[in-house]
Amino acid sequence: MNTVLPRIAARNLLRQKKRTVLLAGAIAFGIMIVTLINGFAGSFIKNVSENFAYLMGGHVFVSGSEYTASGKRISVIRDDSVIMQALSDSGEKWSSLQKTSETSATLIFESKSIRQNLTGVDLAHSAMLKERLALIKGSWDNLAWPNAIIISQSVAKKLNVLPGDTVVAQFQTITGQNNVGEFRVAAITVDSSFVGAMMTYVQLDYLNSLIGLGKNEYMSLGIMLEKLDRSGAFANSLYTSMKGMGLQLFDRSTKQQESGSTTPFQSMIREQNNETWTGTKYRVYTIDDVLAQAKQIVVALDTASVAILIVLFAIVMIGISNTFRMAMYERIREIGTMRAVGVQRTEIRSMFLYEALFLALAGAVAGIILALIAMTIASLINFDAQSPVFLILKAGHLSFYLPPLRALGNILIIAVLTLVAVYAPANAAAKMPPAEALRTVK
Amino acid sequence: MQIISTKKEGRHDRSIVLLLALALSTALGVHSVSAQTRPEPKALLQQVDSLSDFTGKDFSAVFTIVTQKPGEKDSVTQARVFRRDMKKQFLILILLPEVNKGQGYLREDDNVWFYDPTSRKFSHSSVKENLQNTKAKNSDFTLSSFAEDYTVTGMNEGMVGKFPVWVLDLKANTNEVAYDRVVLYIRKDPTMLLKREDYSVNGRLMRTTAYPKYVEIEGKLLPSQILILDEINKGEKSQITMTEQSVTPLPDKVFTKAFLEQVSR
Repeated sequence: MNTVLPRIAARNLLRQKKRTVLLAGAIAFGIMIVTLINGFAGSFIKNVSENFAYLMGGHVFVSGSEYTASGKRISVIRDDSVIMQALSDSGEKWSSLQKTSETSATLIFESKSIRQNLTGVDLAHSAMLKERLALIKGSWDNLAWPNAIIISQSVAKKLNVLPGDTVVAQFQTITGQNNVGEFRVAAITVDSSFVGAMMTYVQLDYLNSLIGLGKNEYMSLGIMLEKLDRSGAFANSLYTSMKGMGLQLFDRSTKQQESGSTTPFQSMIREQNNETWTGTKYRVYTIDDVLAQAKQIVVALDTASVAILIVLFAIVMIGISNTFRMAMYERIREIGTMRAVGVQRTEIRSMFLYEALFLALAGAVAGIILALIAMTIASLINFDAQSPVFLILKAGHLSFYLPPLRALGNILIIAVLTLVAVYAPANAAAKMPPAEALRTVK
Repeated sequence: MQIISTKKEGRHDRSIVLLLALALSTALGVHSVSAQTRPEPKALLQQVDSLSDFTGKDFSAVFTIVTQKPGEKDSVTQARVFRRDMKKQFLILILLPEVNKGQGYLREDDNVWFYDPTSRKFSHSSVKENLQNTKAKNSDFTLSSFAEDYTVTGMNEGMVGKFPVWVLDLKANTNEVAYDRVVLYIRKDPTMLLKREDYSVNGRLMRTTAYPKYVEIEGKLLPSQILILDEINKGEKSQITMTEQSVTPLPDKVFTKAFLEQVSR
């Protein structure tokens, strides 16, 4: 391989350090901005999904629906033994299971009231809650109380309650009858975003008894996996396994193909609204099905990054093209000499193109390094737990993920664009007759 | 002394027997009189239901609801209600507060729809839902159906203020009516509901409703003033006043989604 031309190209770049640094700097700036956007988009959906997974209590969910004698549809899983068997038969692994029931309630304490969503879980044995919630008042030991309730800091402030106080909750049973329950504040937690502040946890058995469900019944089974990425495959395996056991299920496969403004989960609900059935019919869905619309934000961010890349580099390329044309005129006698001693036209062209390629690579690599430094600094900033951006954070910090192929793709685009920008002056230099070049006086 | 004493005791015993007999006969007499005038509970419930039943006619009125909550400024909600009891249809159109103006509830068959003009979307609601931020439920503005929804488990006499009333203890026939137990205080003559108590599934008094004023429309007695007390969140209450009541026939289009969308613009 002929290494003379690349060496001459590298030397030429080093001869004009200031110009090279400015051109590479422009490329580096552009690539840094694009890489930052790509890095943010890369972790956005993952962070949102993980945060929602903890709030909802799983990566994959199974819920059941049935009709009452009068035709009212209610959400209930009465006997989960077949689901558990299907889970076991699916051959998939999970890290934890969480059975939940829910109702919307008005919490009342001394004439103050607030609307809250009550989530019934086995408080004393929920490892996930202990791992996720940070207590500011009260104790985990209090969760043994049969009517324990865990409320967020903002709810406690609104109601002016302390651990040990008894709040009254007013809500409806699954069939729509009004009922009242008394809950004893066991713990007060740090608000984790505006969504976290809405979460209020109570004992599953007690809530079930109040909303008209039996002791071993519940509304939804949340399955937490080791990795979020596995949720789609896991849900498909579980779906197949449950179908194989003869359970009635809302179709899952067709929902994967739907697009537009309707999420797979919304499609499933719409299907449910149009159907009637007897017995219990189950839904298997993932956190990604619920948050499918959030993925459109990632697509928008990626599209924006490509648009920025093109606009920025259109400007940079004009600058590079002009600079190389100037460089060609500066080196015109040198080119003439080289041609006179036998250097071919294609080699002259290649020399300029090598120069452009090195410039693009240096700028792109520098841009990616600068972006990685900026990402590291940004990820050190600790955001407040109540921050509205909490859902896109990872443990209270910004996080970035740059897919390697995307980084390589960006470098490739820059290299090609730079070569295109430099091709015209390189070609002009190559086509210059040696005698004319040697006659030229600067 | 002993004899005298015995005679006295004997007289005393006879007096007691006479008194007991008199008391018993009086009681029996009262009971028989009472039994004669005591209405059949189910028929009484049907009579109460029929008081607000405009089957064969259309009914409309404006309801103004003033809601008081401790520590908060009184809120005023005003709604125009259209009813066609024959088809169990109703439309409730919110007039006040200004921010919610144009919102509405429409009953079509067994579905109750809530319309929000801001999003221009209909969503499912229920007659068991509270009307806006008030203590009143949508069902408070519609035809009552005590006789169909409840079974009388107890019937006693009592007083509400100076009026003698029948106190009917009702238990829901299904688990899909808003309150599992309701106690009605029905004035004897003329028959009209004076007070109502609503209980939760686990037997806690949740709401007390008083009907202090009535108006007569087309031979029907309708409460023109209703006072609802929240018994769980003490201090919260709503006062409903009915005005502009009318039984003028309404066009069919009134009970449609299109009409609700049109009038909400």
